[in-house]
Amino acid sequence: MTEELEHKFIADLEQHQNIVHKVCKLYTNNKDAHNDLFQEITIQLWKAYPKFRGEAKFSTWMYRVALNTAITLYRKSKRTIKTQDFDSVLFKIESSEYDDTEEQQLQLLYKAIHHLSDIEKALVFLYLEDKNYREISETMGISEVNARVKMNRVKNKLKKILNP
Amino acid sequence: MDQLELLKKNWKKLDHTLPKLSREEISNLIHKKSSSIVKWIFIISLLEFIIPNILLLFADFDKYTTETRALGLLNFSIIFNTITYIVIIYFIYRFYKNYQSISADSNPKVLMQNIIKTRRSVKHYIWFNLAMIPIISLVTLYKKFSTPDFLEKLPEGTSMLLVWFLTFVLVAVIVTLTWLFYRLLYGILLHKLKKNYNELVYSNGDDCG
Repeated sequence: MTEELEHKFIADLEQHQNIVHKVCKLYTNNKDAHNDLFQEITIQLWKAYPKFRGEAKFSTWMYRVALNTAITLYRKSKRTIKTQDFDSVLFKIESSEYDDTEEQQLQLLYKAIHHLSDIEKALVFLYLEDKNYREISETMGISEVNARVKMNRVKNKLKKILNP
Repeated sequence: MDQLELLKKNWKKLDHTLPKLSREEISNLIHKKSSSIVKWIFIISLLEFIIPNILLLFADFDKYTTETRALGLLNFSIIFNTITYIVIIYFIYRFYKNYQSISADSNPKVLMQNIIKTRRSVKHYIWFNLAMIPIISLVTLYKKFSTPDFLEKLPEGTSMLLVWFLTFVLVAVIVTLTWLFYRLLYGILLHKLKKNYNELVYSNGDDCG
């Protein structure tokens, strides 16, 4: 039975692993930290899997476990970003004034996101996953109004980081 | 264009660039050990509970019984220990129930609330232990200080007021140091959690949920 469950879990996770990788991408800034967080999320998913009854979609259920691990359960400090990175973001913004390619903008955006708080990153993640405010509020356990207010703040904060 | 919109547009394209783990690699991962905060809180709570009780096993019970009887504290000691063990059993039950309620698939707000609730019951257990230190030591010392044996050994001219003053200071120092140790331990462990919880729930009082 356990073996059967394990096979099913591995197949489910293999299919949806991009969700976990994307969470890791927002919460970490190097390969080691990425792998480390991926491992902890996988362990937490596996631990919670016997309780997964299929009421929600597997992917929706994964959002919660993955975000909970990144926000609350995970305790490695490797992913902490040094303050120099922030300066390099600002520097790049100035130097890239005349070279405004989309790729460069995306890199700057990722760097800016790394300066957000854990909660703000979760909101950004759900927004990027195209979740509406009702889904965001349900996943995070806050009211819809609160989710909307916080999301607007995150957008403003990102704007400030990118256009100081 | 909104900066996040630009990122959203590219978010789906990311799928091709992300690492792709095989089933075997995933299988290896699930058998690794977790380093989650809940696990650490649980281990520390268990140690807090087990260490003092293991130390008690090494206590010389015969000597303890003879001494308490000599001091006229045998009944007090029996009642005190009975109450202590009833309270400890109650806390074991609470710890167990609380850890059962911590689930990684609840929403972040509920998860953080459950961890904080769990910590609160461990904190109550610690407060209980801290309160027991002055009660047991002051009652025992009160009896001890009244014995002729102790009074004989006391250097002549020593005021009992001074003896009691020093006793109070010593007990206060022990209690404060233990309290500081716990504060530091859980301060380190729960700092991030509390910060995130406050940000999620209380940010500028705009929570309507």
